[in-house]
Amino acid sequence: MKKNIPWLIGIGLLLLSCAIFLLLRKTGSGQLARIFADGVCIREIDLSAVTEPYTFSVETAYGVNEILVTPGDICVTHSDCPDQICVRSGSPRDKGLPIVCLPHRLVIQLENAPGGLDSITG
Amino acid sequence: MKRVLAAILFVLLLCGCAAGPSYQKVTFLAMDTVMTVNACGTDLPDAEQLVKSLEKKLSVTDPESEIFRLNRDKTASVSTQTLNLLETALALCERTGGALDITIYPALTAWGFTTESKHVPEASQIAALLPLIDYRKVQVDGSRISLPEGVMLDLGSVAKGYTGDVLIAALKESGVTSACLNLGGNVQVIGGKTDGSPWQIGVQDPHSDDVLGVLALRDQAAVTSGAYQRNFIGEDGNTYGHILDPETGYPADSGLAGVTVVGNCGVLCDGLSTALFVMGLDDAIRLWKSSRDFEAVFVNEDGSIAITEGLRDQFTLRQTGRELTVILR
Repeated sequence: MKKNIPWLIGIGLLLLSCAIFLLLRKTGSGQLARIFADGVCIREIDLSAVTEPYTFSVETAYGVNEILVTPGDICVTHSDCPDQICVRSGSPRDKGLPIVCLPHRLVIQLENAPGGLDSITG
Repeated sequence: MKRVLAAILFVLLLCGCAAGPSYQKVTFLAMDTVMTVNACGTDLPDAEQLVKSLEKKLSVTDPESEIFRLNRDKTASVSTQTLNLLETALALCERTGGALDITIYPALTAWGFTTESKHVPEASQIAALLPLIDYRKVQVDGSRISLPEGVMLDLGSVAKGYTGDVLIAALKESGVTSACLNLGGNVQVIGGKTDGSPWQIGVQDPHSDDVLGVLALRDQAAVTSGAYQRNFIGEDGNTYGHILDPETGYPADSGLAGVTVVGNCGVLCDGLSTALFVMGLDDAIRLWKSSRDFEAVFVNEDGSIAITEGLRDQFTLRQTGRELTVILR
């Protein structure tokens, strides 16, 4: 019996490391949205943890964008930029492309492209 | 006891292998678009700095750039990088019979595509500009470039592809063997993913907000051109795309809604995606049949899809009910 103890410990550690590995993978699967202002990440939101919709504003030297966060999704609802492309582009989940407000140098990007994709050409 | 230690070391080693080097993702705005570099490695080169130094040379609007000075003074000595790109672009203009033309800028300006005031110009204005659109008028003498009066150069149709190639080279030099770059919709990858599988790259459907299909890529670039990008609705209610036909000075109307070009070289894919979109399906297929350095996904205006046979094992359709044809050599 004593002979087997080192092996039992080894197998136990192996199972433990597998469990940790799988757990880490699982926690990384939440949909994370990152908001960049002038190239700097100013906020991270785990969209899968959102239960109630809410809005907030991002004010930079270039202007103001109002952002709506709903369970699993994010979009720009108002902006005082001239082209309004960020408002019209809707959710980044649809196209998998980031929301970009070039005049305000604001980018909203999802950590993972939808549908198990790594990136999207378009 | 020795055995216990050996077992612990073995498990730790396994854990270390499973973790491996991690991906580092950076996002920044440059060249009027958003760029993301996702690379696996340590001591990675500063991608943003690299792109911005290229933009400083290639921008058509920055008064300090080499291209701006060339357009203003009609003659200028340019850096090796700008010269390399210019010569590659001119060769692509020639290869595509002028469907790609890097002297289209005066027409783009007339349409307001270079500003926020997009509009349909007078037909007489376009007609007057057409003689100025001819890449063969660009004179290259060593590193000195000269343009006739009125002719203007814009490397926008190839700059992002070239930038991708420069970034890929820099990443490989620092030992990166797995990376995925998205430079405003141009995707370029190094190797496959660290789990050994290829990168899964969605192709945007020009007709909807969905992904049309998926390309499995390793060490390749995929660049898309389409009328749905940066378009505008004129006072006449018609939609005008930003890709102009150098022959007419009007938005390309070739029957294609989008083209994705896949190949080993970013600048080639970038220039060709524009050119194939302009020339239309039949001419594009002819060019593909006489070439060996690219493959393509074509989306027709009627929604049907055609892929070249080299992509048969790399492209998977994501939408049901869409007609898919494989073009054979």
